[in-house]
Amino acid sequence: MSINIKIDDTNFEVEDNSLLIDILLKNDIKIPHFCYHEALGADGNCRMCMVEIAGQKRPQIACDTFAKEGMEVFTKTASIHAVRQDILELELINHPIDCPTCDQAGECKLQDYYMDYGFYESAINSSDKIKHEKHKDLGSNVILDQERCVLCARCTRFTTDITKTHELGIIGRGDEARVTTMPNKKLDNPYAMNIVDLCPVGALTSKDFRFSQRSWLLTSSPSVCHGCDKGCNIYIDHNKLKYQDAKIYRFKPRYNKNINGHFICDEGRLSYKELEENRQYNLLSDNKVISKNIAIETLNSKINSYKNNITILVDANLYNEELEAIKSYALSIGAKIFSPLSSYMDNAFGDDWLKSSMRASNAKGIKSLSINTEITEDYTTTGLLINFNHPNPDLLSYLELVEFKTHINNEKDKEENLNLIFPLAVSSESEGTLINKNNITQYCKKVINKNSPTPTALEWILDITGDIK
Amino acid sequence: MIEEVKVVSHRFNINNSHLLDTILSYGAYRVLPIGLSMKKDSILDMIVQSGLRGKGGGGALAGEKWLLMPKDDPRPSYLVVNCDESEPGTFKDRQIITKDPHLLIEGMILTAYAIGANIAYIYIRGEYQDFEAILQKAIDDAYEKGYLGENIIGKNFNLDITIHRGAGAYICGEKSALLESLEGKRGHPRLKPKAKEPEWYFGNPTLVNNVETITSVPFIIENRAAAYKRFGTENSSGSMLFALSGHIEKAGVHEVAFGTSMLEFINQFGGGVKNGKKLKAVIPGGSSTPILTADEVAKATLDYETLRSLGSSLGTGGMIIMDEDTDMVEALKNLLEFYHDESCGQCTPCREGTGLTDTLLAKILDGRGSSKDIDKLLDLADIMNGKTICVFAPAVSGVIQSFISKFRDEFEKKEIK
Ligand SMILES: Cc1cc2nc3c(=O)[nH]c(=O)nc-3n(C[C@H](O)[C@H](O)[C@H](O)COP(=O)(O)O)c2cc1C
Ligand code: SF4
Ligand code: SF4
Ligand code: SF4
Repeated sequence: MSINIKIDDTNFEVEDNSLLIDILLKNDIKIPHFCYHEALGADGNCRMCMVEIAGQKRPQIACDTFAKEGMEVFTKTASIHAVRQDILELELINHPIDCPTCDQAGECKLQDYYMDYGFYESAINSSDKIKHEKHKDLGSNVILDQERCVLCARCTRFTTDITKTHELGIIGRGDEARVTTMPNKKLDNPYAMNIVDLCPVGALTSKDFRFSQRSWLLTSSPSVCHGCDKGCNIYIDHNKLKYQDAKIYRFKPRYNKNINGHFICDEGRLSYKELEENRQYNLLSDNKVISKNIAIETLNSKINSYKNNITILVDANLYNEELEAIKSYALSIGAKIFSPLSSYMDNAFGDDWLKSSMRASNAKGIKSLSINTEITEDYTTTGLLINFNHPNPDLLSYLELVEFKTHINNEKDKEENLNLIFPLAVSSESEGTLINKNNITQYCKKVINKNSPTPTALEWILDITGDIK
Repeated sequence: MIEEVKVVSHRFNINNSHLLDTILSYGAYRVLPIGLSMKKDSILDMIVQSGLRGKGGGGALAGEKWLLMPKDDPRPSYLVVNCDESEPGTFKDRQIITKDPHLLIEGMILTAYAIGANIAYIYIRGEYQDFEAILQKAIDDAYEKGYLGENIIGKNFNLDITIHRGAGAYICGEKSALLESLEGKRGHPRLKPKAKEPEWYFGNPTLVNNVETITSVPFIIENRAAAYKRFGTENSSGSMLFALSGHIEKAGVHEVAFGTSMLEFINQFGGGVKNGKKLKAVIPGGSSTPILTADEVAKATLDYETLRSLGSSLGTGGMIIMDEDTDMVEALKNLLEFYHDESCGQCTPCREGTGLTDTLLAKILDGRGSSKDIDKLLDLADIMNGKTICVFAPAVSGVIQSFISKFRDEFEKKEIK
């Protein structure tokens, strides 16, 4: 049922009994808060989200106030400003002044709110501030600085209510209270690093990201994780420093109510490294760098000599548009096309939350394009195999292998691979759509522009077919 | 001459009153057959009629709380007795559990019966280890004699009582923190519900009452509501155990009717201020209640309404007496150290405010303060008031405000030093 409320003299039509803080956040009305989080609910401990409600003697916290017909809310009065300022002052009383060396600087709620409500002198000397552990390795790549913590309990509520792994707790009372791990426990769950994002300040930092880049230098581009066919939404945080190449520094979860909510798994989060490391950049034949023209000529002559005996394998992580192009290419040269999906199954990885055992981000795309997902028993080839980055070409026997590949798989691959090799762009350097396990189609735009870009599958097909008259 | 009332204390002076064998011959458990034969509703009605008020500090009407317990609910109901007694100046519940534990057990059986609970807990202060042993023996003996367990005194009613020991946190006396702790979690007070409802123990309806509240129940059932209402005043009906400590000749606990004159109580039962000194101030109801000056004490009577009108509160009835030589700044420092140590640390204003006020007061005591610091203390008291999850911080706020507003000159003198 919808009702009418008034916020700072503007009328709003909202759902009866909905949470006031959600209404404020949804309508972009400034409401400072540390502890409330949509995924974790209200805890009421930080006391920052104070608002005035007509008829109520005292200010109320918006995270524990429900909208009622005719309610009048004030978020900008002088008295509310004063209350928020007072509470912020207390929040900062024992806070170290670490901003110059703190990774959170630039995306820190304490800093933001200080700019909104702060600007006062500290009531105590910095030497009187309470000292706690500055560097506590919680496990799972998470480092805790207890002094920076505002005790919002988001991290402990995450491990208690969301992952239910119970590694974290708050010990000590009053201003001695601090977050720590349970006795003889380390933070150890596949979603642990989400607490770094949940932490509104720089108390929790990622071992992987710490000190690598100031947050304000990063560009956040929306994308989708390629770690499995769940297709969790992410931001790719990247930066191109002067005279250097574009580089990815981290993945962060991007909210999507229908897919991953607010979170992603740690493996997916760290998979950004794969986009940078062990990349295949050279066009090779007999382990020698060759020119593009020669490579294409060589490929075309192989195709001519293996007529009717050509098979194409495709990676189930390629975008639909790429798959489609490869599929028509296969048709044009009379090749069979497969994408064996069993190569991507990883039962140890899957769980009943986000992580899926199908570790190919576009397995559903393969199916929707009716590309064979298994190699039928009676199918044998001894001819030419053209592999578009499928991880397991040895599923088939072949006389010759031509590879379009994003990565150098190992040392042997680097030194002894005599095949014709075309370097292929990784997902962040290409663009297209993916279909996730729940049949949701998502578009990923090209995020990374390298100084010397590696061609995408689509670009290669255009180049190659351009030559076939 | 004030007359002592004997609702919960009538067997305190008997030798070995904590032993079942002794106390049976003085009528222990004699109310059980009466109560367990009554309709539950009649008992509820009787408690409502009696005007019995909670003795844990808040003074809520017990009957109103009992009526919040659902009648036909598929979930089990629980009774939890609050014996955390950690409020400085308060030591009344321990008289009950050491001097007449069977009266508490009898009260618990009758209460549990009335609210339909078959499981009850006593949450006892961790430091009360020796008293717990006495209480546990009483429970064991009661089981053996068929007052606890199945088919109590042959009636169709079962009750099990388990004692749960706290781990030494004052905040676990606050009822919702107590229940969190009882559930095995950290003792953090819960957000208050929007409407009146029972407490919840693992999501089941639960009644939490103070030891003395529950111990008053047998008297009311045996003698009827009107007999209880005969004591006390219009709105503060009945009696309560009041305690004296501090600068007093004879510290101790005495049960009197509400409405008794505070000064008379101090003089008659405490023998006046220690060493014949003059009275300076009294903290009337446990350390969390605002302090009263000697003038105010002269006007005070021991009931909720009068103390509220004096800007303080009856609290737990534990009076802390201060003589003319008391240094009020030191006294406040002593209290703030306690609150600094005991804030549960959830809410920002309380977690940081209790620490900062303590630090500022130390500065003032050191002679490094200024009147700016005194004003800052008052500002902080204001920030701590009405902006937190539980009433711990507002109570500290009231304490600071009362000390400074009533004895500001003493604070100002410290600065000059
Ligand atoms: C900080 C704090 C400490 C408390 N400590 C106690 C206590 O030690 N014992 C107690 O009975 N009630 C204590 N209370 C009151 C309880 O929350 C609760 O109101 C009481 O147990 C209810 O019982 P009653 O209605 O019988 O008094 C405390 C309250 C607060 C806010
Ligand atoms: S947590 Fe925020 S305010 Fe604190 S040091 Fe880091 S950036 Fe600065
Ligand atoms: S570490 Fe961060 S998330 Fe955890 S309680 Fe502290 S401020 Fe909140
Ligand atoms: S007011 Fe203090 S004691 Fe009460 S919940 Fe908040 S921090 Fe804890």
